[in-house]
Amino acid sequence: MLTVSVKWQKKVFEGIEIDVSLPPYVFKAQLYDLTGVPPERQKIMVKGGLLKDDADWSSIGVKDGQKLMMMGTADEIVKAPEKAIVFAEDLPEEEQATNLGYSAGLVNLGNTCYMNSTVQCLKSVPELKSALSNYSLAGRSNDVDQTSHMLTVATRELFGDLDRSVNAVSPTQFWMVLRKKFPQFSQLQNGMHMQQDAEECWTQLLYTLSQSLKAPTSSEDSDAVKALFGVNLRSRVHCQESGEESSETESVYSLKCHISHEVNHLHEGLKHGLKGELEKTSPALGRTAVYLKESLIDSLPRYLTVQFVRFFWKRETNQKAKILRKVDYPLELDIFDLCSEDLRKKLEAPRQKLRDEEGKKLGLQPKSSSKDSDVKMTDAEAPSNESGESSTAAQQEGGSSEKGTLHMTGIYDLVSVLTHKGRSADSGHYVAWVKQESGKWIQYDDSYPSIQREEDITKLSGGGDWHMAYIIMYKARFVSM
Amino acid sequence: MAPVPDPNNVGGGAKRDEATTKVPSKDPKKKDDKKEEDLSEEDLELKQNLELYVERVQDPNPELQKAALESMRQEIRASTSSMTSVPKPLKFLRPHYGTLKEFHKNMVESDLKKLLADILSVLALTMSAEGERESLGYRLTGSGGDIGSWGHEYVRNLAGEIAEEYTMRQSEEASVDDLMDLVKQIVAFHMKHNAETEAVDLLMDVEDLDLLLQHVDRANFRRTCNYLTSSAKYLPGPDDMLVLDIAYMIYMKFEEHPNALQVALFLDNMQYVKQVFTSCTDLLKKKQFCYMISRHGITFELDPEMVADKDDRDILQDIVNNTKLSEGYLTLARDIEVMEAKTPEDIYKAHLLDGRASSGPSVDSARQNLAATFVNAFVNAGFGQDKLMTVPSDAASGSAGNWLFKNKEHGKTSAAASLGMILLWDVDAGLTQLDKYFHSTDNPVLAGALLGVGINNCGIKSDCDPALALLGEYIDNEDSSVRIGAIMGLGIAYAGSQNDQIRSSLSPILNDATAPLDVIAFAALSLGMIYVGSCNEEVAQSIIFALMDRSEAQLGDALTRFLPLGLGLLYLGKQESVEATAEVSKTFNEKIRKYCDMTLLSCAYAGTGNVLKVQDLLAQCGEHLEKGDIHQGPAVLGLAMVAMSEELGLDMAIRSLERVLQYGEQNIRRAVPLALGLLCISNPKVNVMDTLSRLSHDTDSEVAMAAIISLGLIGAGTNNARIAGMLRNLSSYYYKDASLLFCVRIAQGFVHMGKGLLTLSPFHSERLLLSPTALAGIVTLLHACLDMKSIILGKYHYVLYFLVLAMQPRMMLTVDENLKPISVPVRVGQAVDVVGQAGRPKTITGFQTHSTPVLLAAGERAELATDKYIPLSPILEGFIILKENPDYREE
Repeated sequence: MLTVSVKWQKKVFEGIEIDVSLPPYVFKAQLYDLTGVPPERQKIMVKGGLLKDDADWSSIGVKDGQKLMMMGTADEIVKAPEKAIVFAEDLPEEEQATNLGYSAGLVNLGNTCYMNSTVQCLKSVPELKSALSNYSLAGRSNDVDQTSHMLTVATRELFGDLDRSVNAVSPTQFWMVLRKKFPQFSQLQNGMHMQQDAEECWTQLLYTLSQSLKAPTSSEDSDAVKALFGVNLRSRVHCQESGEESSETESVYSLKCHISHEVNHLHEGLKHGLKGELEKTSPALGRTAVYLKESLIDSLPRYLTVQFVRFFWKRETNQKAKILRKVDYPLELDIFDLCSEDLRKKLEAPRQKLRDEEGKKLGLQPKSSSKDSDVKMTDAEAPSNESGESSTAAQQEGGSSEKGTLHMTGIYDLVSVLTHKGRSADSGHYVAWVKQESGKWIQYDDSYPSIQREEDITKLSGGGDWHMAYIIMYKARFVSM
Repeated sequence: MAPVPDPNNVGGGAKRDEATTKVPSKDPKKKDDKKEEDLSEEDLELKQNLELYVERVQDPNPELQKAALESMRQEIRASTSSMTSVPKPLKFLRPHYGTLKEFHKNMVESDLKKLLADILSVLALTMSAEGERESLGYRLTGSGGDIGSWGHEYVRNLAGEIAEEYTMRQSEEASVDDLMDLVKQIVAFHMKHNAETEAVDLLMDVEDLDLLLQHVDRANFRRTCNYLTSSAKYLPGPDDMLVLDIAYMIYMKFEEHPNALQVALFLDNMQYVKQVFTSCTDLLKKKQFCYMISRHGITFELDPEMVADKDDRDILQDIVNNTKLSEGYLTLARDIEVMEAKTPEDIYKAHLLDGRASSGPSVDSARQNLAATFVNAFVNAGFGQDKLMTVPSDAASGSAGNWLFKNKEHGKTSAAASLGMILLWDVDAGLTQLDKYFHSTDNPVLAGALLGVGINNCGIKSDCDPALALLGEYIDNEDSSVRIGAIMGLGIAYAGSQNDQIRSSLSPILNDATAPLDVIAFAALSLGMIYVGSCNEEVAQSIIFALMDRSEAQLGDALTRFLPLGLGLLYLGKQESVEATAEVSKTFNEKIRKYCDMTLLSCAYAGTGNVLKVQDLLAQCGEHLEKGDIHQGPAVLGLAMVAMSEELGLDMAIRSLERVLQYGEQNIRRAVPLALGLLCISNPKVNVMDTLSRLSHDTDSEVAMAAIISLGLIGAGTNNARIAGMLRNLSSYYYKDASLLFCVRIAQGFVHMGKGLLTLSPFHSERLLLSPTALAGIVTLLHACLDMKSIILGKYHYVLYFLVLAMQPRMMLTVDENLKPISVPVRVGQAVDVVGQAGRPKTITGFQTHSTPVLLAAGERAELATDKYIPLSPILEGFIILKENPDYREE
């Protein structure tokens, strides 16, 4: 008989007797009574070795009064989860891309940042993407020439590549087609392709797309691009000398923000841009006279594009010089006062609704204490929400904004900014800043996308040598009614 | 004596007064006087007197001669005490020095001749030509007598001449007995007059430090020993050992046992350590000794001779075995209120970064989860709780098991092992928690459990040897990952123990032709750690054979570097002992030969500050090599290893590294950040921080990775806000590069290691002692970092756990006589170097008063702010036993 003490976890069991004539398994059974650890889970340490079930006590050399240590628990044994965990590293490349939350950059093919940034900005319009994906050769109208068709297809392919890839995409095919369609982009300087004006690229590309994406029925309404970007302007042209007055309407793809000395803010610039003087022959006076043209917006696009007129042709230096003036632009733009009377009337009800909803969000929580009218409002909202969702789905198929129960409010949210850095339109560097669906802002500097803070986006307003906004795009905010 | 005219003396005195006290106001006026009359009246009188004496000395009448000599002596003695300028009598006697010398030469042997020799000896102080050592010469022929009567300057000059004479005579092998007599007098004089440093210097010059023992007393032995120990760092071997030997003997003579123990540990002389125990009778003091030994991290068995009583011995052995370390650490953590477990997200602080807050990836990234595993392990090291691995078992079926499986394949090894780190030093709890993984059928998990046991037991020894008992079985497992887990676990748990049983089971692996290379590499490394600094022949042989057996292809493998490293660790800090092995290494395959050579050299001289070796290594770095040579990496690391011991050398090394960085090849540039990391480990110097921050954006990603890891190392356990900020920015800069991001995460884990309670510095006891196991752990990690891609970013990331060897609480915890923690006020401030300063200067500056337990940062020192207790060790670090002061009276 030996008497030992056994240490288990923080406890010490003193005076355990060992019958040396019996195998150690018996001893383990003794410990089982004390600790509740089944013998097969027990590990008993004796001077740098483990006690084996069938060992001989005499050969182990346990002395009377010795301290032994036991390890073991009755806990459940850890098992691997039945469903294996999938790691990002194991996923195919495409799925990794979606995990990043934004798409890939575009490789600069030699002064093609104007093109890259334009593509990135336009790619942020999901409706344009879906319109492109519906595009097919069979459905095209006959008046679309071959190169336009090729450019449209190339755009579609490029958008697709960008969505699928993790690493930067090389837009070689798109670039070739673009140059074929618009030979002005093939200008060479010192054997290199020249830097181009992004605005030109933007306009030309959008124009081409609008031509090729026109539905075969060729009615005005089915122009998908126009429905997305087109702004109808109603202008009143009048001549002060003769008192003649006429009105005309036109459709443009972007508003111009004219920059003069008194313009500090986008809104002022836009107002400025909608007023203009022009000289034309006055039938009353029989000579050319100065006419004043005042335009107002007659219909709102889903995506409002604003171009800052930063470049002007400087005759002395023979280049497009740049106005560095700082012009602030907001993240949320309200163009109500630029709209025509008719449009304003249409907008009033949705705007009231939007204000109410926002007010509700900000405060006025206690529903029980609120007035009857409020209750009615919330009641009315529930079904309308549902219909709103369904209409969103409908619109994704390419429908226009006027359908369904969604209504324009005249309020727009900034979604992409194309900036220019440098002193002349044909030099410097173009970069795109695009808001993702997740709300994050990504700067696409050719092949390097990087995350940016929202407050830094409004700092691209110019006034120095930093990137400054050249073309910005707003997305309409809708309210369901 | 009578003929000496009194007025002269008075005059001399008066003149002296004038010279010393009235100089400021009268100086310009006096100068004018001098120009006009050349000399003042008094000076003139003195001059005439002296001239008269000189004449009289040459008088045939011995009486007159004697009288003149006596008077001359009086004059000189009266003036030598003021040393602001050349004393007047010496100045006036200058023209007659030649005459007197001539006369002395022709004098017959007599007392008078000796008297004259004395005077000439003093005159030679200012007049003899450089290198003639006339002062000494005349002193030796003179009458002897009290050496101090001629003043300090005379003695100092004499000491200098003795040193010169001694070297000359040594080379001529002439007798030095006469000199030694003089040395004895001078040393006695210096020691009495607060000039211990000069006494030590002289004795070092004449190589007879033993003399010091007779002259030290209670008043001056501390300063003497202080000077001895700090000068040892600058002496070439074997002089440094000799100096420390003397220091040890002096400490023992005055029963300053803690200091003596320190020196003994520095000398790595177990005989001395034993002697400290046997010569001390106070049990409480012995407990303090045990705490000091346990901090040093060596294995030490107490025997009945040291402590007679069995129960007492058990208590002491428990202290040496570090069984109470966990308890003390947790006391500190509770006092500082950092018990709350931290998650990796608490460390990353992603919400402080732009834009990407709260956008957790929807899919788990194995790399990121592995990083989180390490961060979690390092940050919660030793706290026994965390939020990933030790979640209570009722929720376990959901989360605890899950986190483990959120790691992929070999990642699971690190995850399971992290449990050992979280429960560091708490063996009982650790084994209980790790038990569940022992029954896993998943090999990486089992490997992790084995490694975890090793980590958990790091620095803790127990009679039952649980680590050996548990891991021993798996050394020969058929799965090599399990084998590595067991082998590495043993290496960590038994580092420095020189355990024969483990050697006999690990050595065969080295020479097993069928064993995979990685198993062999880790076996060599573990043996190196277990026998660190032991110069064990047999282990060295096995590793050498293993190296010779490697095929050409294997020699090119990244892991092969662990074989030379294991060999090097055997000779860590052992200087010349490495030479035989270094000779053998010259016969190796040329692929590994130079690498081995550099590793051996740097390990053997690690922490010695040997300038010659630093130059050797620098020369290696200066070469521009063909591509493919990798030995410059260890050379750069070696530079840091050798130079890291003392401040001056360290600063020089940092500057040299900057230079190497500019002109070196790529493989050197990759090692430089790591070397900087070693030099300033857990000591974030601003200049090094800036250099590393710059390198962390280097175009070469390996340089950047090394710099990032090193940023973590220099800030390890400091919670340094600046480094934390840098790393946070780097994490956003490199968020797309998984490898670099992994490094950033690891570095973040380092910086917040132990929530800021730990240090990685292998130095302790006021930077005097270097813990060999700690250094071994760090050096191993750094060598692994030389090839980051194949080791740490590959599947051997668990080498990061080697750092556990260096992890120690950076605390000062006071305990009472029953070893229960007590809180007393202490002052903590920047340490001041007081070596060679007279009196009792303040040892800290810019201090703040806290209550124990307190944290000590690098370069800080603590002192008790109360007289109520007396600390049993003068070095207030780690565990300090306090004794009540019997003389203390409440105010």
